Amino acid sequence: MQDRPVIDDFEIVGENYRPTVRASEKKKLISKGFPLFSAIVLLLILFGCLFCELIMPYDPARMLLDEVNRAPGGGHFFGTDTLGRDIWSMIWYGGRKSLFIGILSTVISSFIAIVYGTISGLSGDTLDNILMRFTEILLSIPSILLIVFMQAALGQRNVLGISVIIGITGWMGIAKMVRSEVRKIRSEDYVLISKMMGGGFMHVLFKHLVPNFMSSIMFMIVMSIRSAIISESTLSFLGIGLPVEIITWGSMLSLSEKALLTGSWWIILIPGVFLVVTLLCITDLGNYLRGSYNSSEGNL
Amino acid sequence: MNLRNKVMLAAVLRKTAIILISILILSFITFFMSRMAPGDPLASYYGDRVERMSPVEREHAYERLGLDGPIPEQYVKWLGAAFSGDFGISFKYKQDVLSVISGRLLNTFLLGGIGFFLTFGLALLLAVFCAYRENSIFDRIICRVGTVTSCIPEFWLSLVLILLFSVMWRLLPSSGAYAIGKSNDPGSRILHLILPLTVVVLSHLWYYAYMLRNRLLEEIRQEYVLLARAKGISKRKVMWKHCVRNILPTLISIMAISVNHILEGTYIVEMVFSYPGIGTLSFESAKYHDYNMLMVLTVVTGIVVIIGNIIGQTVSERIDRRMKAKDHMKDLMEIVSHREMMDDAG
Repeated sequence: MQDRPVIDDFEIVGENYRPTVRASEKKKLISKGFPLFSAIVLLLILFGCLFCELIMPYDPARMLLDEVNRAPGGGHFFGTDTLGRDIWSMIWYGGRKSLFIGILSTVISSFIAIVYGTISGLSGDTLDNILMRFTEILLSIPSILLIVFMQAALGQRNVLGISVIIGITGWMGIAKMVRSEVRKIRSEDYVLISKMMGGGFMHVLFKHLVPNFMSSIMFMIVMSIRSAIISESTLSFLGIGLPVEIITWGSMLSLSEKALLTGSWWIILIPGVFLVVTLLCITDLGNYLRGSYNSSEGNL
Repeated sequence: MNLRNKVMLAAVLRKTAIILISILILSFITFFMSRMAPGDPLASYYGDRVERMSPVEREHAYERLGLDGPIPEQYVKWLGAAFSGDFGISFKYKQDVLSVISGRLLNTFLLGGIGFFLTFGLALLLAVFCAYRENSIFDRIICRVGTVTSCIPEFWLSLVLILLFSVMWRLLPSSGAYAIGKSNDPGSRILHLILPLTVVVLSHLWYYAYMLRNRLLEEIRQEYVLLARAKGISKRKVMWKHCVRNILPTLISIMAISVNHILEGTYIVEMVFSYPGIGTLSFESAKYHDYNMLMVLTVVTGIVVIIGNIIGQTVSERIDRRMKAKDHMKDLMEIVSHREMMDDAG
């Protein structure tokens, strides 16, 4: 019903009446402030990474020993790295893993955050206090240290392991948000009724609570993809994350110390620029989701 | 003892208890996580000799380094020693942990501390500048540039700066905290601080500046601003004397909770610039399973963060009395209800 366009008070509604959709309403999909350019760039990068087999001229893992450290141009569009691998191919092939890690760890952290936050939000004051204190303690440790400890403890140097570690160390912020949202809506009638009708915790959570607070945590979820990608690349760069053989943007950058000695700028700049552009597009989308405020004029 | 003192005492006791419990839990988590690690801690102490050790020798070594027995028992032992000021020896450096750390603590505090205050000072200036000229071309450009800088990972920004200033133009040193043999020369230290400091400040600046800018924009929409302007007070004066003053508590509470963010940035930057500080040490100790070192570093980091929180809380209470009143009210209510209960029982 609410999809029907607004009818003018004085519009004549006859037998063959058909509501005309106004031009201004057609454009709702792309509303004001939508970062169209960032979205297109992000889509391009995403598609490039997904279908990297189609645009890769070389096998990204193959080391061409007679073409080590070539500058961009010639046979290699972006040059080759210190191990003689083609950077153009590695960008797309590695980007796929980088983005995958970002998304998978966000899925893990969001799931933990939603469950934890809801438990905390629905439970009594004592348990709620304890749970929130615990998240505050975890939040007080610099997250990169937490990840490094976990990495040292579990010693998983593969894509899945890294995603899990980043995921289980990055849920605290979202959990706090979920908790405060749940506390706002927990005494609504539909929650109560659903519980009375015998709905279990998971049922109430995913059927009634999640749809209600999803929009307010969406921004944080998008931002957590961003921080997961940053964490992975930082870890791999420091040599604690993924090894050089597993190609991601981060592990490509782990060769940069050697590159600094030889002054091969392309090994440092090219993967980094791709990383930063991707992060920027994600940030723009996140900021759009956060919504804008301050539409009125200032008094100053 | 009158009620007022009692309230004060209760607040202090509660805060101390929270600090102690937090640090205890922190050390507990780190301890268990590090002991469950698959790597061999003996390797970092004895090096390659580990492979030629007999089982008896190994057992002996474990006992000597305090690695024998079940993990909970080890933790209790560690805790007991820690309370008497003995944090054990570093497996890698083979000296007392505290003496290894004390040499590097100053370096980190220099980088992190200056970076911290510089970040927030500049963030406030930038926020005021942007809020003053809201939606002007300057504001938009700064917002855009700011968003871009906040997307650049610290390590990559460091790499690019090293590439430009150290490798290509050879202006600034790329690693260390001072030139060899010049540890007491402030000039050398400053020269080595420029690049790391730039990274620490740049990578955090916009995040906070944007937050403050938005807070200021909310503030200038308040009605008192209209009143002040109507009374004929100049824009500048309203901004600095009223709006900025009103967001100071926000600024300070943001500062208090962001100690660990800046510290995190500092640690990463230290690694890239091989700056001899706590950050480099913690990555090393995690890598080489240097348990005792790891524990102390976590606890030290935790203490710094928690102390930061408490200082922030105290300062913002000084500025905004309402907060203090609210906090005291809570304690007061607790005591009153406690008394009522006692009265009922008696």
